[in-house]
Amino acid sequence: MRRSVSIAVLTVALATGVGTITVDQKNILASAQQKPETTEVKIDNFSFGPATLTAPVGTTITWSNRDDIPHTVVSTDGVFKSKVLDTDEKFSFTFSKSGTYPYFCSIHPKMTGKIIVQ
Amino acid sequence: MHPFDLKAALLAKHAQHVVLIHFPIALFIAGVAFDFLAQWTKQRVLAAAAYCNLLAAAVATVPVVITGILAWQWQLEGQRLKGVLLMHLVLGCASSLLIWIVAVVHLRALRKLGGVLPGFRLPIEALGVALVTLTGHLGGFLSGVNLSN
Repeated sequence: MRRSVSIAVLTVALATGVGTITVDQKNILASAQQKPETTEVKIDNFSFGPATLTAPVGTTITWSNRDDIPHTVVSTDGVFKSKVLDTDEKFSFTFSKSGTYPYFCSIHPKMTGKIIVQ
Repeated sequence: MHPFDLKAALLAKHAQHVVLIHFPIALFIAGVAFDFLAQWTKQRVLAAAAYCNLLAAAVATVPVVITGILAWQWQLEGQRLKGVLLMHLVLGCASSLLIWIVAVVHLRALRKLGGVLPGFRLPIEALGVALVTLTGHLGGFLSGVNLSN
């Protein structure tokens, strides 16, 4: 009888422990997924670096002008558009939908880049 | 694309301002050089060459100023300019004004003063060349032509 009770108690304790661990793992995963990531694209020497960037949905991309002259960040599809960025100025945009977002500098249209949101 | 395809050249997607700007710069500098040479050598043919170049330079500033302002309004949506862009705009306007002043001085001398040019035009022309050079340098910097590497 004692043995049966002990086994029952152990089983309940194990089940509770596993359940708690599973719930904790789910919470950690969920919080990791919900937390928005921030990624930087550097503008330097008349180019965007990296030129193509892949990021998950919800990521905030920050473009930072490290060049000596002004640049802009303009989405080809009109999704986002920065003001003229002087040296060390930044522009951020949060991508809430998946897709491919090509962009360019409107002062120097040969400067192009692409954000792939998955 | 064929290099001599007129339609492709006229309808090119790049900004026309950076193409047209070379005409007034070259004409004005050549005009001033002819005028200084004419002053030095006293040759009328050089003075005539200076007159033609300076007049053509003044006319050529019109499409340049228009395309520059359009580029500002369309590509940058008329944003408030600062830094190098603002300096380029201000110096560009000042250069155009000086080119026109020099051209008008020459035009007026030919029509009303019997071709006798006033001496004060020479420092104005020299200042004009300095301003045009500075504006062009900033323009080259903005367009990426003056890249260091």
